[in-house]
Parts: sequence; C-alpha cells; structure tokens
Amino acid sequence: MAKNNNQTKERSFDDQMHWYGRIWTGIAICLMLLVPLFVGVYFQASPSAKGMLIGAASICIIYLPSSIVEVITYAPMLGTGATYLAFVTGNLTNLKIPCCMSAREIVGTEYGTKENEIISTLSVAASSLVTCTVLIIGVLLLAPLRPILEAPVLKPAFDTVVPALFGALGYKYFSKTPMVAVAPFVSMALLCLLVPAAAGQVAILVPISAVISIVVARILYVKKKI
Amino acid sequence: MIYFSQQENRLENYAGRRREKAGGFRPPFCCLERGRNMGNGFMDMANSGMMYLIAGVVVVFVMVMAVVFFIKAYREGVKIGIDKKKMNKAIVSSVTFTIIPSIGILIGVIALSGSLGIPIPWLRLSVIGALHYETMAADVGAQAAGLSGLGDVMTGDAFVTIIFVMTIGIIWGGVFCIFGLKKYQKTLNKVQQKDNRWGTIMFNAMFVGMVCAFIGQGLANTRKGDFTSVIVIVVSALFMALFTWLTEKKGQKWMESFSLSFSMVLGMASAILYQSVILPAIAR
Repeated sequence: MAKNNNQTKERSFDDQMHWYGRIWTGIAICLMLLVPLFVGVYFQASPSAKGMLIGAASICIIYLPSSIVEVITYAPMLGTGATYLAFVTGNLTNLKIPCCMSAREIVGTEYGTKENEIISTLSVAASSLVTCTVLIIGVLLLAPLRPILEAPVLKPAFDTVVPALFGALGYKYFSKTPMVAVAPFVSMALLCLLVPAAAGQVAILVPISAVISIVVARILYVKKKI
Repeated sequence: MIYFSQQENRLENYAGRRREKAGGFRPPFCCLERGRNMGNGFMDMANSGMMYLIAGVVVVFVMVMAVVFFIKAYREGVKIGIDKKKMNKAIVSSVTFTIIPSIGILIGVIALSGSLGIPIPWLRLSVIGALHYETMAADVGAQAAGLSGLGDVMTGDAFVTIIFVMTIGIIWGGVFCIFGLKKYQKTLNKVQQKDNRWGTIMFNAMFVGMVCAFIGQGLANTRKGDFTSVIVIVVSALFMALFTWLTEKKGQKWMESFSLSFSMVLGMASAILYQSVILPAIAR
C-alpha cells in the first residue's frame, strides 16, 4: 500500500514537471521567436521572406532531425524537469549533462528514483543560473575582461575546455565500467583518426557511440559479466 | 554536440575580418540611411540599450524558469525527506563545475560580438545556444540574406534574417520536448520498471558512449600534428584519478565536489604549458 502511494506521488511530481516544463518551454520558444520580430521593428528592416525561408529550411534540414535525436539520447540521462530546462538553456553536452551526471555521482542517486530526478533538476537549474550570471557579469565587465580573456597565453586553455572535461569524465566512467567503454572508445578513436571529417560531426558520433555502448553493455549484462 | 575550440578560431577570424573590413565597425546601413538614428553605425544599434533590453527580457525569463524549477525540486526533495546536506552538495558541485565552462562560453560571446554586437550573442549563448551551432546558423543566415558570409558588411535586413535563422534552427529540441517528451519518458519508465538494474546500466552506457565520442574527436587533431587535445585529455584524466584516490582512499571527502573542476583547470593549464613552454623549447 505504501509502495502504491509512493508511486502515485511519484507520478504526480513527474506530471507536474511535465506541466511546468511544457508551459515554460512554450513561452520561452515564443519569446525567442519574437526577438527577430522586435529587432526587425527596431531596425526598421524589411528582410526578404524568400531569404528567411531559404535560411530556415537549410538550417532545419540539419538541426530538426538532430534535435530530436538529442532529446532521445539525452533525456534518459537528465530526467524530466532537467530535460525541459536543459533544452531551453542549452549547452547540453559541454555543460548540463556532465554537470548533472557528476552531481548525481557525488550524491549517489540511482536511475529511475525520485531522488535522482530531484538532484538532476537542482543540478541543471543551478548550472543554468551560474552560466547566465557569469555571462551577465562578463557582458557588464566586457571592456576590462576582454584583454584578459583574449590574452594569447590563455588561449590554449580556453580552446581545450571540452577535452579537459571529457578527459576527467573519461577516467571516472571508464574506470567504473572498463569493459563497456573499450568498444565505443576504440571505434570512435579509429573513426576519428581514419576519417577526420567524421570528427566534426559530433551530433552523429554521439548517438552511434551510445548505441555501440548499449549493445556491448547488453551483451555483458546478459552474460552476467556486469 | 558542442566543441567550441575550433569554432572560436573561425569566429575570431570572422571578427577580425569584419573589423578590418568595417574599419572599426562603421558599415553603411540601409535602414539607418532611411532616417533612423542617422549617423550611428550598425554596431551602435546592435549594441544599443534597446537590444540589451530585448535580449535581457528573454535571459531574465529563462533565469526565472531555472529558479522556479530549482525551488520546486528543492521543496519536493525536502518533502520526501532527502537530506538537505545531500542536495546542497549537489548544488555546490554543480555551481563550481559550471564556472569554468561558462567562461569558455563568455569567450564565445566575445568572438561573435565582432560580427553581431554583444546582446544577440549574449542571448543566443544564454538560451538554448551552443557556440558551434550559432556560428554555423549565423553564417547560413548571412548567406540566405545575400551576404557572402558573416564576415561581410552587415545590413539591417541581413541581421534580422540571421537572428531568425539562428532562432528557428535551435528551437526543435524544445518543441519536441513539449510534444513528445512525456510519451517518450513513459516508454523509458516501462523499460526501467521491468528491469531497474538494466535501466541503470543502459543509461550509464549511453553516457560512456557520449564521452567516447568526444574523446575520439579530441584524438582527431593528432592527424594534423596537434597533440594539445590529447595531452589535455590525459592530464585531466590523471588528475581525476589522483583526486578520486585522495577522496576514496585518503578520506579527503571535501574534494569530491571540486575534483571535476580542479581536474579540468589543471588539464587546461597543461595546454598552456605545452603550447607556451614545451613546444617553443622543442622548436629551439
């Protein structure tokens, strides 16, 4: 009985997050779509509809399917509330997902639990607020900060934020499940080394690599190796 | 999806070319010549208070959304009896982890500001944005508006087309969340309820796959003789190993929340050491 009550509560919190997520995401998208309109009015611009349609079509051909693949790939890692928030605030792979995974790891929550859902949402919300605040402070202090941030000596460091992130995360996750990591690591390394053009297509690489990992994990799981 | 280091180079080139072309940002601007703010250049308008207001409203909205979700999650956590210390630990680790990548994103705003002014890149990288996407979308928008690219002399019509294209391309993840996420989550929950252990393994495997894709991408630069990414990957992994050892074996529990950020900073510092000290020493 207690379990049933708990499940009902879980569903209601999840439904609440979907409700809030839909409303806030919907308004955020509407606001974003209003930006070009307001800028157009302010600039007294009259852009050609043809140019806008061509531009929109050529960008949507690539990004519409890849956005859907992204939701499918990343939503299970994030959970309900965090997914809505992350798809409004952006910077998913370089920030929100590692941040959320790391927070859950530190706290020690399990997938599928309400605790996990709450920690993920807290993590992504805190991360989003920090990014927005850093950008606001940065924009306000752009003049004094610019020479420091653009100093040639610091450039290699800021060019390598992503490798630094995934190197550290690589150790953390590979050391936990080395058998799962070998096949996707070798295949991605070979693919990127042999076909350098593939390295630029992370939106395609991530789902492929994720599928390889899942297949390997499934085989190992069925054989009771993990 | 985001790998902004190479993109930054491109962006800086754009910005540089634009500065050269515009001779300090003073391109002729069609609508200005039609009577509005006569005498001001494109950049004056793109960086005006009104543009900050337009961008600021959206950024503030998104921050309010984050606060609402944060409060809801925290209250629910307290309600179901999650230890506040645990939640605070997750918050502290998320805050410390986010600062360094956010500075990287700020550099993206600076890089794009050469072509589009500050408010629009600030907005685009605060809301859904991702630097590599923004550059590409802005370039596509510029070409659709009849310019040769982002580096070309900007017009008001082109600017609006660029913002429209950047916006329309990036919203689909959110749109899909609105219409499909609930259904998708229900399907996932069924898998998980059927076999929770497999669900956990599967989602971890997905993340391992993602990490592998990015590490593979970092290795690709070695083909061009650039070993910086590989060095950074190895150094940050080694420091992560050290911090994990200190946390787990030496009882330095406080380090847990900072190990990822510290490893990243030290990995990034190794890039400076390699490019500013080791490479010049080898060249000598």
